Amino acid sequence: MVSQVQFDPSVPRTGSPSPDVLPSTVDGPLPLGLSVRMEGISKHFGGVRSLDDVSIALQPGEVLALCGANGAGKSTLLRILAGAEQADSGRILLDGSEVRIDSPRTASELGLSFVHQELNLVPKFTGLQNLAMGKGSQRPLGILDRRGVAKRAAEVGEMLGHRLVLDVAVEQLPVAERWMLSLARGLMNPAQMVALDEPTASFTEGEAERLYRVIGQLTGAGVGIIYISHRLDEVLEVADRISILRNGRVVGTHDASSLDVRSLTHHIVGREVETIERRGAAQPRGASVRLSVRGLARPPRVRHVDFDLYEGEILGIAGLVGSGRTEIARLLVGADAATSGEVVLDGEPLRARSPHDAIGNGVCLVPEERRTQGLILLESVESNLQMAQIGASPNLASVHRPGRSRRTARSLIERFAIRCRSPKSAVHQLSGGNQQKVVIGKYVRTEPKVLVLDEPTVGVDVGARAEIYRMIGDLAAVGTSVLMISSDFDELAICHRVLVVRDGAVVATVDGDSATKSRLTRLCYTHDNEAIA
Amino acid sequence: MTTTILQPALTPTVSARSWQGLGRYGALMMLVSLVIVMSVLEPETFPTWDNFVNILNQSALPAVIAIGLTFTLVTGEFDLSIGNTASLGGVVACTLIVDDVVSVPLAILLAVAVGVLIGLINGLVVTVLGVNALVATLGVGTVVVGVNYAIAGGLPVTLDDPEGMLKISLGRFLDIPYPVFIMIGLAVVAWLLLNRTVLGQSMQAVGGNAEAARLSGIRVTRIRVIGFVICGALAALTGVLLATRTASAAVSAGDSYLLAAFAAAFFGSAVLRDGQFHVFGTMVGVITVAVGFNAIALLGVETYWQYFFQGVVLIVGVGVGTVARRRAAT
Repeated sequence: MVSQVQFDPSVPRTGSPSPDVLPSTVDGPLPLGLSVRMEGISKHFGGVRSLDDVSIALQPGEVLALCGANGAGKSTLLRILAGAEQADSGRILLDGSEVRIDSPRTASELGLSFVHQELNLVPKFTGLQNLAMGKGSQRPLGILDRRGVAKRAAEVGEMLGHRLVLDVAVEQLPVAERWMLSLARGLMNPAQMVALDEPTASFTEGEAERLYRVIGQLTGAGVGIIYISHRLDEVLEVADRISILRNGRVVGTHDASSLDVRSLTHHIVGREVETIERRGAAQPRGASVRLSVRGLARPPRVRHVDFDLYEGEILGIAGLVGSGRTEIARLLVGADAATSGEVVLDGEPLRARSPHDAIGNGVCLVPEERRTQGLILLESVESNLQMAQIGASPNLASVHRPGRSRRTARSLIERFAIRCRSPKSAVHQLSGGNQQKVVIGKYVRTEPKVLVLDEPTVGVDVGARAEIYRMIGDLAAVGTSVLMISSDFDELAICHRVLVVRDGAVVATVDGDSATKSRLTRLCYTHDNEAIA
Repeated sequence: MTTTILQPALTPTVSARSWQGLGRYGALMMLVSLVIVMSVLEPETFPTWDNFVNILNQSALPAVIAIGLTFTLVTGEFDLSIGNTASLGGVVACTLIVDDVVSVPLAILLAVAVGVLIGLINGLVVTVLGVNALVATLGVGTVVVGVNYAIAGGLPVTLDDPEGMLKISLGRFLDIPYPVFIMIGLAVVAWLLLNRTVLGQSMQAVGGNAEAARLSGIRVTRIRVIGFVICGALAALTGVLLATRTASAAVSAGDSYLLAAFAAAFFGSAVLRDGQFHVFGTMVGVITVAVGFNAIALLGVETYWQYFFQGVVLIVGVGVGTVARRRAAT
């Protein structure tokens, strides 16, 4: 299927390292794959120590995973290697020679390629325009070599085993499609080392498989990979060695074969964390139907959706990117308008023309992208926690009482163990997991009957993830109905039932106790319809 | 992960803290030092009750229009039509009185209603048509200029019987001119509206992140339109108050308030907050400029220095705040 290895030595390297950074022992073209060492790296931000004497080493052709809770320093370490930040102390060695990486451009010239957690694509540009932004896409006089870029993009796409969407503005693409483009952009120029920061955060199993194949190709050609992911099973599968960071320090480097999820979790958190508890068939039988959805549609993404959601039930939605799973959630809360179909809530027809209507009726959506859709990043935890309450208020002239708002905020912070200095702290200072708890808390405060969660644990570390599962379990226990969309099919084990969505329709319903990752994955791909009561 | 993660065990360094202090209080310190310097330079005339009242009186009109603008800015929008709206407000009020159509209070009310209408048009063009606020309000403002010329024929409208209008500006209570009370009253109401009502909180949420606000149930379109309406109403009121000073209105009398309002609001965004617009900050901005103008007059330097001062205040106030916040963050 993949016939072409990108790192064919006959391909001329675009841009060569400036002479002073070239390892002195190398004559002629560089061999593919560099060993990368970072030694004694320390970094402070405004008096807060982010990295403290961190050392890592990557051999050519090796996959080194960096694991750690949010805030442990993984991304900062990568940003230093990428030249986006400067370390306060420490040094970086490529093939044994010390180099100074003072800008992302230098890093790129050295053959270090980075695919970041934050999508750094220009939303208004098409895929092709985004891919053309790197070096080597210009002919003399700065004229864009469109044909060359398209050709290269096709090669990269073939290598990824994915047809890249190049002619549509990136902002119109689903998240996973954007990720593929980000990844492709990092591979447009031949690389000696590739760092992948949360590459599969919004991928499903099949899409992740493709990435693993690409990683295999790269390492086979001698390229080293630095890999950051919160999905520990995936890390254990992909990585050769794992360096574990905790509070800005490396607490250990282990061979991946010597670890399992449990021991790795223990290393990351520094304490035992409960793993996912399968809820299984312990579903609230006899409970009444809370939400009944019939023939819900908004072509082309959502064609025909039927399902019932019971009181106190946790109902999962499994689907590939592009299956319509996010769009279904948006229709339910009136973020988009359905073209047909009906939704009945507690026996009454629900016509949500806007999220305001939906929240007023007790249906809330915890959106997919917490930073852009869930939070006001510069505002305080307290203001963020009150937002849905404000939004649900029918009367704009009604009085807002800051004292009451603060007390409620404090109780939510306590109830959900949101770790922040004070309710006044800006929410962007919190870790990803705690930010997510704020978004969930904001909606829980309105005491919803139905809470829809779209990818609630993306970019959330193991410890906080367990807490989010507990939040969801507690809500269901008091009668809240939960609809949970996830690409991480393992975590759908917390559901009573799981709906499998494909091509904008529900194609199967699986009981929680049999909703294994392999089964859900198979159902997402294959077309043999299977319905289990 | 790209954000700075705070670790409770470590406290920010002294330098980070002092930069943060400069960011928050720099603009306020500028006002305070201006007052101190002037008190030393002109101890006879500057630090007196009369001059204090005079400064507040000079602040009143810019304050009214800048408070209105603050509402639009809080919702994350922009209004470039306020100067033209102010001009039209004065012309409408004076024309109605000259033509003996209505009484003075009703004329003022109708002029403000015209401002409401302009704000409504601005808001609908921006939200429903989806035109960028910069372009939309520039366009609407230009139309307003046309309407203004059509009403007044390009000539100043002067009242035959100025008493009713003049007493609004010249009248005093407890030896303090009425406009000062109007300014303080509006500032208090605006502060309450923004900080103590669901509307105000919604406005701040919309300005912070419109998409998150929408998914939180806030009716973003409605909130933005209301912001434009308040802004238009207060702009028209500013024009009316300007007309009460001379009992006449010129077709471009209010135009210069556009820049004054923006300067005050942006200067104010650097006061105590990290670049967010708020009523208290806007008031500090207005008063800082008024103190500066007062100082220029008392020192007897040429009036063109006013422009230098206003420009420098804006750049230094906002610039120092921005740099200091950046330093505090790294």
